[in-house]
This record gives sequence, C-alpha cells and structure tokens, in this order.
Amino acid sequence: MANESMRVLDPIGVPSVRPQQLRKVLSGLEGKVIGFIDNGKPNFHYLVDDLEELLMQKYGVSSVVRHRKRGSVPVGDAAIKSMVDQCDAIITGSGD
Amino acid sequence: MVEAAKREVPALAICSTAFATLGKSQAKALGHAELPIAIVPHPFGIRDREELREIAAKTVDDIAKLLCESGDVEAFGKDSATFSAGRRAEQITVPSDFDDFNRLLMERHWGDGFPAIAPTPERVTKMLAHTSRAPDEIVARIAPGYGEATVERIAINAVMAGCRPEYLPVLLAAAEAVADPDFNLQGIQSTTNPGTVFLILNGPIARKLGVNSGNNCLGQGNWANATLGRGLRLILQNIGGALPGEMDRATQGQPGKYSFCCAENEEANPWEPLHVERGFSANDSTVTVVPPLGTWNINTHAKDVSDLLRVMADVMAFPAGSDYVYGGGAPWLVLSAEHAFILKREGLSKRDVKQRLWELSKLSAKRLSEKDFARTQNGRRAELGEITRESMLPISPRPECIGIIVAGGPGTHTVYMPGSGYTKSAITRKIV
Repeated sequence: MANESMRVLDPIGVPSVRPQQLRKVLSGLEGKVIGFIDNGKPNFHYLVDDLEELLMQKYGVSSVVRHRKRGSVPVGDAAIKSMVDQCDAIITGSGD
Repeated sequence: MVEAAKREVPALAICSTAFATLGKSQAKALGHAELPIAIVPHPFGIRDREELREIAAKTVDDIAKLLCESGDVEAFGKDSATFSAGRRAEQITVPSDFDDFNRLLMERHWGDGFPAIAPTPERVTKMLAHTSRAPDEIVARIAPGYGEATVERIAINAVMAGCRPEYLPVLLAAAEAVADPDFNLQGIQSTTNPGTVFLILNGPIARKLGVNSGNNCLGQGNWANATLGRGLRLILQNIGGALPGEMDRATQGQPGKYSFCCAENEEANPWEPLHVERGFSANDSTVTVVPPLGTWNINTHAKDVSDLLRVMADVMAFPAGSDYVYGGGAPWLVLSAEHAFILKREGLSKRDVKQRLWELSKLSAKRLSEKDFARTQNGRRAELGEITRESMLPISPRPECIGIIVAGGPGTHTVYMPGSGYTKSAITRKIV
C-alpha cells in the first residue's frame, strides 16, 4: 500500500503576471534627487534623516523628497506620480 | 517599489531583516525578482539615535551601489515566478497512503497542519459540477503573491479542506470578496498583526448548507463552518502565497487563522439581517468577509440599554495596544440574541446602536505611548485632523463602520472583534 500512488491536482496558485525587467539604474548620484516613501513605522524617519545627510555628503545627492504613508495601506497613484515627477530614484521602506 | 519601478524610475526597497523574505518573495511573485533590496537589522524601531546613525552609515554604500549598478541582470527570469495566464492545474503523482500523502503535503507547505483530503481529479470534478463557471476562469488574484484563484484551484483547495461539493459557490464568492481593494488583503496577509478572515453567511444558502448560527457557532462541531473557513485559509495560503514565516509575517497569529466562519442567526435577529442592511434582498444568499484581529467575550447581565452599551463600549475601547488606534478601521460585534433583544426593546435600530457605541468608545490620546501616539498622528491625520494629547480617538472613522450581526445561542455573551486598522470595510458578495 505504501508504495502505491495516485494522481492529484496541484493546489498552488501562480501569478498571472508575465515577468518583466523593470530595474533601472542611475549613472551616478551626483546632483540627483532621491525620494523616500516612509512606511510610517517608528524610527524610519530618523533613518531617512541620516541617509539624507550621508547621501548628500558622501555622494553629492542634491536633495531628498519624502512621502509618509499610512502603515500597510498601499501608496496611492497620485502620491506615486508626484514622487516620480520630482525624483530621479525612489526608495521605499518595509518592516519595523 | 514595484509601483515606482513601473514608471521607469530606479527604485529600491529598504527592508528590515524580518521583512526581507516578504520583500523578495513578493517582488518575485509579481515578476520582478531583479528589483533591489537593501537590508537593515530588525527591529529598527527600538534603536536609539546613535544606533540608527550606525545603521545608516552601514547601509548608505549598499543603497548607492544598488541604485547605480545593474546587478545580475542575466539572472532575470530564472528566479521569477512562472507565467501561467489562467492555466489549468497540473496533475501530479503522490503517494496514495494517507499518512505518506499528508507528510508530502506538509513538506511542500501545502497544508495548514491538519490532515487534508487528497484533491483527486474525481473529487475536484464533483465539486466543479456545483458551478456553471469555467474551471479556468480567474475569480480573483490573491495577495500577497497575487496567485490566480481560478475556479478549479479554489475547488482543489476546497476539496483539501474537506468541503462538500455544494460548498464551492460560497468559496468562489469569498475569493472575490477578499480581493476587493477596500479589504486590503495585502496588509492582512503580510502584517505582523494576527489578522485573518472571518466568513459570515446570510440568506437561504446558510440554512441549506447547515451553517451553524446558534450555540457555539464560532467554535467546533459543524462540518460547514469548519471546512468553509478552512477552505478559505488554504486558498489564502496556497493560492495567495501567505506561508507562515515567509510572506505571512504574523508574530503569533491566532487560532481563527485555521478556520473562522458562521451564519447570522437571522431568526433571532430583531433587526434586518446583515445582507439586507448592506443592500441585498432577503432572498439573496451572501458571504461577508471581515478581518478580525481576535475575539473578546463581553459577558454582561446588564438589562438596561445605557448600562449594556457602556459595558460594550468600555470593552471595545481597550486602550493603546490595538491596531485601530493607529489606523481607524472596522470593528465588529457578534451580539447575542438576548443583548440584541434588550437594545431593540428600547426602540434602538442597528444604526442607533452603532452611533451610541461609537460615541461611548472613544479613547483618550493621553493613554498612548509616545511612539504609538506618533503613529496615530500620522495614520489618522487625514481622518481626524491634527491629533493632540487632548484628542478623543473614535474606534472607527464613522459610526457606520462598526459592524453588527446577531449570532449564537442563549446567553448573555456578545463577542467583540477588533478590526484590522487599515481595512476600509468588510465586503459582501452574492453567492450564485
């Protein structure tokens, strides 16, 4: 009995999205505007403060733009568009 | 990150170590496994300023590198999830021995820990006979992995949960409901909170399927309640990809994550039933999905309306440690028929009860810790305006966000269910 087999249907769902190469890179950070989407968790804004200072001092980033979101609620289209319009790269935060 | 990257801007995510698996798994599931992630130690929320400066100093070079170097683009596609587009489920060969089959299920992370029924083609075909929808029709995409919940895959998971074939239409409607954007399934499935999905059935199908609405309706002992709740859990895990410790980041979770389902006790409800309140006809059958963070028993022998509402409101407003404080939300009450009778006897409608509870359950912002107060200011500013220590925080954005059903048997017990703070609303779908 232990060696007998049966056929079953795979219960796992796979995503319907076609894999798509989205990664873009900058030629350098000098003079660039970096956007931070703060996840609103404790201390993340301090981390952004420190990263802003270091990115400007060490890599010549010209400025940092911030958007603070509400916990686990996705960022709305308007906020994303506004950040994309203002920034050369976007950094998001996840975790506590 | 993905939304920014889709707009052709360089993007990266900073994840604390405990969330790195979620970030990587979700990027992979969405077909963008190549998107970069910078990792910082978890938890950064308890670090002091000096420690945070050190973390930033150690991370900034990684961030600069990830924004300016393309990485291993050759690997693109190798690690991305397979594109399926409504594909029928594959047949696979497994041991027919019950113990061996279940051991395999757990090894492959297809189960919830309980033994499951083998989803043989014969059993799945029997279940599919209870819908006119095509097996490859995509009913929903289930967060956080956004797997395709086809009719067939829902049926497969229903079989595994032990559902009878005639239960399938309930799970089809439930899968549609949880995928509604206002339900915020992404947050519920991937948060450290213990959120889960509670199914409430209304209308003729609840009686036809024998869904318990009476004694111990949230407990054990009923086939439909047990397996419908379990069936949805397997859909959330197997199709949505919310595996514990991976994309499901719950710190402890809760027992309701195994199964959580009952019917409203419409016969004992002195008001209109839930589905009629939400715009459906009394003869419609519906399923409503609710995201409770847990349950709390309110045992009160109060017979006066003011007393009764005050006790309920005091329980609802338990301070500071609840997700609603940060985000508002949609809390629920499962009223006993005895409590509902007292409220109705004094002429209160459900709307009146919600209004009174909303006013009585406000929480003083003075009771919040410093960090929680800051989170609350950020999370609820749009709803409440500027929040000070003198503010009284309502339990939900509006009184009508409080959900009420009547269920259970005799007794002076009402169940309070705090809701996930970022779900705008419970969602109801007609079962067809």
